[in-house]
Amino acid sequence: MKNRKNLISALILLIGIPVIMAVGFLIFGGKRYAFISAGIAVLSCVPFFMSFERNSDNNSVKLVIISVMTALSVAGRVLFSMLYGIKPVTAIIIIAALYLGSEAGFMTGSLTALVSNFFFGQGIWTPFQMFTWGLIGFIAGIFSEKLKKNRLILYVYGALSGIAYSLVIDIWSVFWNYGEFDFSKYPVLISSSFVFTLMYAVSNVIFLMLLVKPIGGKLERIITKYGI
Amino acid sequence: MKAFSKIHPFVLITYFLIIITVSMFVSNPVIKLLSLAGAALFSFVITDRKERLENIKFYLPLALLIAVTNPIVSHNGETPLFFMNGNAVTLEAVFYGIDISVMIISVMLWFRSYSIVMTSDKFVYLFGRIMPRTALVISMAIRFVPMLKRRISEVSRVQKSMGLYSVQSLTDRLHSLVRVMSAVIGWSLESAVETSRSMKSRGYGLKGHSCYSDYKMTKNDIAVFAVFILLTAIMFSGASDGHLRFYFYPVISDLNTDFIADIAYSAFGILAFFPFLFEVEESIRWKYYRSKISALRMQARKKMYWKV
Repeated sequence: MKNRKNLISALILLIGIPVIMAVGFLIFGGKRYAFISAGIAVLSCVPFFMSFERNSDNNSVKLVIISVMTALSVAGRVLFSMLYGIKPVTAIIIIAALYLGSEAGFMTGSLTALVSNFFFGQGIWTPFQMFTWGLIGFIAGIFSEKLKKNRLILYVYGALSGIAYSLVIDIWSVFWNYGEFDFSKYPVLISSSFVFTLMYAVSNVIFLMLLVKPIGGKLERIITKYGI
Repeated sequence: MKAFSKIHPFVLITYFLIIITVSMFVSNPVIKLLSLAGAALFSFVITDRKERLENIKFYLPLALLIAVTNPIVSHNGETPLFFMNGNAVTLEAVFYGIDISVMIISVMLWFRSYSIVMTSDKFVYLFGRIMPRTALVISMAIRFVPMLKRRISEVSRVQKSMGLYSVQSLTDRLHSLVRVMSAVIGWSLESAVETSRSMKSRGYGLKGHSCYSDYKMTKNDIAVFAVFILLTAIMFSGASDGHLRFYFYPVISDLNTDFIADIAYSAFGILAFFPFLFEVEESIRWKYYRSKISALRMQARKKMYWKV
């Protein structure tokens, strides 16, 4: 059963990505790389969503808790929207992933991007945010044991994911503004967004320091109490 | 007023996907201008006066800013207009700047109309069939956001009235924030478990559990869908052979206006103006019916007078 699931996910990527590339090359001349990268970002989310749909461990309690965590990070993004670059979103996603597992981490991350853009406005950036935040949650879930034990590693992970988020969004900007990936343009963009990258990294660490105890403790308590 | 939003969500999302993809990724000035005109007219008819003013105040300076930035930053192109600080400002860069600005504004306007027309309930309805769990999480999260904001303000007010809240020093404020968050999290997680129990007792996840939906695919919807697909196919068959190819650097290329390109332009033109025309047609029909109703009323009234 599990093999079949993996096979379908692999097939989606193996067939979908070439199709998107072919469409991009045939139809969209100058902007083909922007189209292809957006398409691949959407497709890369599909296997995660599929395994979430198929996993029978996801009972209604887990679903509601994932929605609460998603809503919490969305509310954080909304409440902190006037402080550009300082947001508790990534910290909340990481904490959710630590206690609910990597799959729930991916869901919290990617759905935070999707749902918060219902408030801020959907755009071509949505698939990239979905995939990046999802992956930050997913990886945090994989290493949850280590991250929970050692606070220092957790903070380093928070800082790194802030930097990674900024770098991925910059890759997208290069595609978008120049039509193709130009290695000479990438450092320019990185340096122009350096202040934001730094703010992401620092604010992630601060929010992790502040929130890991209240949110993580409460999550742990709920999980033990109701045996999720 | 919003007749277009009454169309079935599946047809709507297909339309927006097509129109946004084309306006973003097909680099041809005619296509971009058509898309901008269609988007501007449609967002004009679906917004009220205040919103229109706000939109114009926001998009017009933005468009100018984007258009002006490119020739200042980019010095590609072979036709210099004048020199600024020793750098050539070229004709090609000026036009490319205008081209980028038209594209970005049209895409933003389409996304804006998308948010007005495709409300989140339609989105959840569409994905509820393919991904029921994900759609459920999305719809619950959307509902929880205002609830959490309300609870956060409620808890912080209680904390304030108990004197535990300080606005003076930063560390105290952070401590208060943590205390508020902790209370809200505990409260919300407990109520989340309650929600899930209530769901379970109502048979969530059991076989044969159906869901309510407000949308039905009518014949009209299918017809509109077929028109969209047909127009898109015509447009893309023109685009795929390079008939719509256009570039700005090093020298602005000629605009292709052969027969195939013209057909592709007209197909896309109809597609881009469709929502606007749909709205206008519906409002004309509505006015016609209203005038008919008032005419009938006048007649009826006259008859009454005659009788009396």
